[in-house]
Amino acid sequence: MTMSFRKKIIFYVLLSVSALILFAPTIMAVVMSLMTSQDILTGSAPSRLILDNFIQTFEHFPLLQFLLNSFIVSIVITIGQILLSSLAAYAFVFLEFKGREFLFYLFIATMMVPFEASVIPNFHTIRDIGWIDTYQGLTIPFFATAFGAFLLRQNFKQIPKELREASQIAGMGHFKFYLTVVMPVAKSSLVTLGIYGFLTSWNMYLWPLLSTTNDSVRTVQIGLKQLQSQEQLNQWGVMMAGAVIVIIPTLILLFLGQKKLQKGLTEGALK
Amino acid sequence: MKKLFTMLMIGFVLLLTACNSSGKGSAETASSGASQGKQVVTFWHSMSGAGQETLKQIVEDYNHSQDKVQVNAEFQGTYDEALTKFHSVAGTKSAPTIMQVFEIGTKSMINSGHIVPIQTFIDAENYDISGLEKNIINYYTVDDKLYSMPFNSSTPVMYYNKDAFKKAGLDPEKPPQTFEEIEKASKAITKSNKGMKGFALQAYGWLVEELIANQGALLMNNDNGRSDTPTKVGFSKEEGKAIFEWVKRMNDDGTFANYGTNEDNMMAGFLAGDVSMFLQSSANARDVIDNAPFEVGVGFLPHPQNKERHGVVIGGASLWMIDGKPKAEQQAAWDFMKYLQTPEVQAKWHVGTGYFAINPAAYDEQIVKEAYGKMPQLQVTVNQLQSTKSSYATQGAIMDMIPEGRKIFETALETVYNGGNVDKAYDEAVKQFNAAIKQANAARGK
Amino acid sequence: MSMSSLAIQTNEINLEYVEQVKKRQRMKNLLKGVLFLLPSIILFSAFVFYPMIRTIYLSFFLTNTSGVTTVFVGLENYINLFKSPIFLKNIQSTFLFVLYTVPATVIISLFLAIIASEKLKGIGFFRTIFSSTMGISVAAASVFWMFLFNPTMGLLNQLLKSIGVEPIGWLTDPNWALLSVSVTTIWMNIGFTFLVLLGGLQSINSYLYESADIEGAGYFYKLRRITIPMLSPTLFFAITVSIINAFQTFGQIDILTQGGPQNETNLIVYSIYREAFVNYQFGSASAQAVVLFIMILFLTAIQFKLGERKVHYQ
Repeated sequence: MTMSFRKKIIFYVLLSVSALILFAPTIMAVVMSLMTSQDILTGSAPSRLILDNFIQTFEHFPLLQFLLNSFIVSIVITIGQILLSSLAAYAFVFLEFKGREFLFYLFIATMMVPFEASVIPNFHTIRDIGWIDTYQGLTIPFFATAFGAFLLRQNFKQIPKELREASQIAGMGHFKFYLTVVMPVAKSSLVTLGIYGFLTSWNMYLWPLLSTTNDSVRTVQIGLKQLQSQEQLNQWGVMMAGAVIVIIPTLILLFLGQKKLQKGLTEGALK
Repeated sequence: MKKLFTMLMIGFVLLLTACNSSGKGSAETASSGASQGKQVVTFWHSMSGAGQETLKQIVEDYNHSQDKVQVNAEFQGTYDEALTKFHSVAGTKSAPTIMQVFEIGTKSMINSGHIVPIQTFIDAENYDISGLEKNIINYYTVDDKLYSMPFNSSTPVMYYNKDAFKKAGLDPEKPPQTFEEIEKASKAITKSNKGMKGFALQAYGWLVEELIANQGALLMNNDNGRSDTPTKVGFSKEEGKAIFEWVKRMNDDGTFANYGTNEDNMMAGFLAGDVSMFLQSSANARDVIDNAPFEVGVGFLPHPQNKERHGVVIGGASLWMIDGKPKAEQQAAWDFMKYLQTPEVQAKWHVGTGYFAINPAAYDEQIVKEAYGKMPQLQVTVNQLQSTKSSYATQGAIMDMIPEGRKIFETALETVYNGGNVDKAYDEAVKQFNAAIKQANAARGK
Repeated sequence: MSMSSLAIQTNEINLEYVEQVKKRQRMKNLLKGVLFLLPSIILFSAFVFYPMIRTIYLSFFLTNTSGVTTVFVGLENYINLFKSPIFLKNIQSTFLFVLYTVPATVIISLFLAIIASEKLKGIGFFRTIFSSTMGISVAAASVFWMFLFNPTMGLLNQLLKSIGVEPIGWLTDPNWALLSVSVTTIWMNIGFTFLVLLGGLQSINSYLYESADIEGAGYFYKLRRITIPMLSPTLFFAITVSIINAFQTFGQIDILTQGGPQNETNLIVYSIYREAFVNYQFGSASAQAVVLFIMILFLTAIQFKLGERKVHYQ
């Protein structure tokens, strides 16, 4: 189906205007990260562009190591979440057993426990099993996510029941069905969950701050916080530079994820 | 799908190896310190931004200055976050050797039972601390014992825009001293400087505490909690309300600039010429002077006309020695603390951050003199501290609910800024403040 | 003994046997279900249920600064909460905040998802931009907006100034603060909601549109009759998650307003954080957490009751 020229123009205008409004704060941050603090403080347009803010950011804390730590933590959490949520969602959709509804609502209820309220008891747990300053301590508490199970359940429900029946006739067990049919079919949701899991882990602050006491496994958000001064004038340029460095990897991931999503959909396993 | 899976698997394996190697890496650096016979001291702090830079430099200098002790300075988030974390790990092996705690955490540190008063170390070797700034030491002295080693200390001062003063026909070398003089100056400035307000007071509980102390009033009873645990507020209605009414009058005059609780916005407003005077920590002096496109003046904290000036309470943070660590480790930490207060280090600290030197001998160091040559205003901050009269009022209150109390004052100030009734806001604040004291005492189980 | 009674007997045996098989099957199913759920259940027990139980326990006590219980006070923490005008205001602000943010986020995201689901050249670029706010951490986003809201240098007030309007105290004026924080939150949440809705749009069977095209249906007719109903499971998910997230907003409050002015933006989770991390009143903080939990639970339960029925599953 091809669109009329007029319709195309309308869509492009809508898309461009929305994109501009939505992206304006980010563009502002990028521009500010290249400005001198004099220009920023006097509220004028940039008189010249500089890279000093970025250099200062790199000097301020072990940025590369923090970035690497963030990558490790985020990827491990993402994999853990995809695995555990898809297993749980499968049980909620394809397995019939007593108490299934109850368990599902119990899962959903875990989303309602405010993280800030449970963070101190959890910190005590980590402390008692000796996971402070370890990757386990940073990742494992986040493997189970009701959000993921919920997201995938909504998606798995869209898979026709006939497919399961057919597989049963073919003598396929649950685990095989899960691995060879459900997972590939739900690919786009898995990617969505993966992106979500990665980004939320990438953006965590309070937990990594509490569960680490030194720089060895610290993540980049804590570095970002260290750029903000207490009892001192904010160096906006440096703060923005730090923010830009931290969001570049996530934007790249979103772009790639977008392509993956796209591809997965055109391959169209189930149409 | 298969491709995605293999990619993920490869990524996972790579990561695991990365985990291992980096885990090993950090373990090795830690053990290498120990294998060379160096005593490792862990120092938890909350300095970020420029303060952290200077601190890092000082710690590095110390580590290079001798070969027995290795100090590891570790950032732990804001003062609040760090203190919460400390309370959670106190008594375990994750606890640090030295802990930086803000001044209002003093009571809660003493109550925690996981600290060793610095006085113990001073007495053990008859260490002489008479050279240290009396007005700073006072704050951290409880029951005649110095509990923690003062570190980053500051007091509030008034910053003003000399150019705006000139334009309004005011003497830029004579900043207003009283509430009433500030009101008058604000009117003159607002009239003669287009788009500029006279005065800004950040809604910040600390400033309210300071304005109360400057009148010679106690924040809490029982000598500001110094002779016994406080049971209610220590200031009179007149003393407390004077501050709120003063702000209210300026707000009504249209000479007051409201920046809410945001300190940074207020300073930016000052630098951009939106407001001509504001109160803020002396630690900001360098930053403000450096960044202002006009001449900046620094004056003393104001007081009501009918009250004498008593001076300021020290703010900032101090260093605590943590209990339950091996003797050798504590001794090493003590050695580092002694190093920190030498005049040379304090001079570097003072010039690098704007915080006071806890050792006044630092003011005779060459780098300080040079800095004062360039920025004579810095001297004013020191003068104000040194002209403070020692009393319970200026010694400052110690109590564990002060952070909560600050929030109560801030809400009350904001209410007044937004046109609320002074009597109501003030009475409500005092009521809540007293309730918070009661609650804190109850929670201690006494 | 007649034939019929014999038949009944065998029937009974059969039934019993079937019953047994069914029971075994049920046991097997339960076992399988639990097996699939086990990893999640273990982690939830350690990191969600245990802290929750501990929170409930603490809510009946006063504590010292280390969070150790000192005095048992029964329901006093709860009674104090509901007597406190500040807490009641916090609840009100929280509900207002949910009301300001959730519908706006979902509607804007839906609009963006619909225009971005067209097959146009360069659409991937737009999709990345639209989802970009998801990649910006709360800390970074709050810093961006803090600058935008800055009364002096901020672009918003500069814009107002240039058109001759009085500057607004975005974060200091009690009439504006909650709205300003809401706008920030909407901006931050658009990215994710957009992505979820876009995913939902694209999994709608294109056959449905083709047959509608054959019948000559217009663009908006298709939107109303095909897109929205088919999107309902995803919409349901997006709304539920948005509401829960809105109730738990914390980071932007901490950075932008710290609950001020006059507690106008003191949302419950922020209040819990302050009570625990700043005031060390873990008992009262726990009581607030329990109240919040019950509120969200109640709302979500209603949502599932009303929503799941309307949601259309393929």
